[in-house]
Parts: sequence; structure tokens; C-alpha cells
Amino acid sequence: MPRCLTTLAFIALCVAFQPLAAQSTVTGIRNLDFGPVIRGVPSSVSPNDPIRSGRFYVRHIIGRQVQVRFTLPTQLARVAGGANLPISFGATDAVAKGTAPTSNPLTFNPNNTQTFNLVTSADFFINLGGRASPAAGQATGAYSGTITLTCTFF
Amino acid sequence: MRTTTRVSAALAVILSLAASAAQAQSANITATAVVFQAMTVTGARTLDFGNVFPGVAKSIAVAAATSGRFDLTGQASANVNVSFTLPTNLASGVNNLPIGTWTGCTNATNTTAGCTVFTPSAATTATAFSGAGALFVWVGGTVTPGAAQAAGTYNGTVTLTAAYF
Repeated sequence: MPRCLTTLAFIALCVAFQPLAAQSTVTGIRNLDFGPVIRGVPSSVSPNDPIRSGRFYVRHIIGRQVQVRFTLPTQLARVAGGANLPISFGATDAVAKGTAPTSNPLTFNPNNTQTFNLVTSADFFINLGGRASPAAGQATGAYSGTITLTCTFF
Repeated sequence: MRTTTRVSAALAVILSLAASAAQAQSANITATAVVFQAMTVTGARTLDFGNVFPGVAKSIAVAAATSGRFDLTGQASANVNVSFTLPTNLASGVNNLPIGTWTGCTNATNTTAGCTVFTPSAATTATAFSGAGALFVWVGGTVTPGAAQAAGTYNGTVTLTAAYF
């Protein structure tokens, strides 16, 4: 009898943890691509750019909250080495929009932590824009860096 | 019975924790950029139709000595889109001389031999800089004077716009 109950408890534990593990997820969908940037000429990508903006997909549970926090680089590193390209993110460089037809886009500052209440959509996309500021003597070549989105699901 | 109570209590605690615990996940994307040197675009030669006569159309081919030419410098081997703002008339005071049937050609070296033909009136034309960062663009066209075309010197502006892609 006690062994039976232990088994039951284990099953219940699995069931209890299953919803968050299975339904809550964050995925990188598209890289933020500044494309060709000319030395000495700042270049921006709008979060609404359908090709160049970065994009994440977040799914949780309707009626609950998700806190999102970006880890943003301040510079991209030259792939061949030897140089860095300054980049920055402004107060309107992130846009979140639920997948429900009635969801309205929400613009927010990616430098700040943002909490969403999932009212109409259980999942949403976050688009990210930014600005690259090459120096006049910036070394030519390809640059890259990593952007991390951390979601805390409540 | 005691065992049952203990397990049930533990289960309740676990369920309670499971319901309230926050869970964090992270995902990455990459930010990328390609830094190019600045581009220069120079109007190197005027498209010159020379003398034309009323009622007689005249064309200048891209390979002609009086075709228009733009010289570009930029990032070696980089892709570039070129587009044009083209006049529909050349003007001499209040008089207009229709111009059209634009022709174009690009090459990585300063010769029209073996150049790549394109249509300047198209929205954009994709081409590329040479390995040395050079690009040459020629334009030709046709003017169509009317039978009663007023005499005079007519001119207009052809603008080339280039952008990396």
C-alpha cells in the first residue's frame, strides 16, 4: 500500500510539472541583420522590418504572466578579429504582438525588463530593431554578436 | 494510514510548489552586420546627342563615344543596386525635346566591350563592384525632335543612385 501511494505521488508530480515544461517556451526565430553598413554612417533596423529585424517566439498559458529580459550586446565583434562595431537599442526598438487577431502590438524598451499578461493570446512574437554606429575608420568585414531573450514564466 | 497521510501531505506541498513556481527559459539570436567602405558615384561623361534635326530621331548607343558614363567606387566585390532618375524631355527654355528608349550597360572595367546590358528605366538593376572596387555604368538613349522642334540647346539631368545590398 505505501509503495502504491509513492507511485501515485510520483505520477502526480509529473502531471503537476508538465504544463509549464511543455507549454512554455521561447525560441529565436530570426537574426537581427543590419546588412551592409557603410563606414561612418549609422544604420538602423526598425523592429517592424519584416526581413532585418530580430524575432523571438514566446508561448505560455493564457491568463498568466511572462517576464521578458533581453541581454543585449553593446558591440558586435569582427568575425575576422581585430575590431568591434558599436550597436545600441532605443526605447522603441522592441515590439511584442500576440498571435490572436485582436492582439495589439506593444512597443517597449528592450533595455528594460517587461512583463506581459497573456489576456488574448497564449503566444506572441517579439521583434527587435537596433542601431549600428560604425566609425569613419571602421574595419570592413562581417561582424556578429549574440542577443539573448530570457523569459520567466509565472 | 500514517504513511498515507505523510505522502498526501508531501504531495500537496509539491503540487502547491508546482502551481506557483516560476520557470525561466532563454533563447538566442545573432546580430550581424557587414561593414563596407563608402561608395562614390561620379558623373564621368555627359550623354551628348550632338546636333539633331527637326523630325529626325537620333540614338546614342552605350558603346558610342558620346554615351553617358558614371564611375563608381566601393567595397571590393560587393553587390550593389543601381537605379536612375530619367528625364522624359530635355529642355530649352519653354521648349521640350522628348527623350526615351534608354539603354544601359555595366562593367567592372572601363570598357563597353563585354559589358552587361540592362534597362535604366527599370526599378533597380543588381550588379557588383569588381575585385578592385570599381564599377562603370554607361547610358544611351534616343531623342525624338518634332517636325517643328524649336532650335536651341536642350539639356536635362540623369541621376544614378546606388546602394549596397
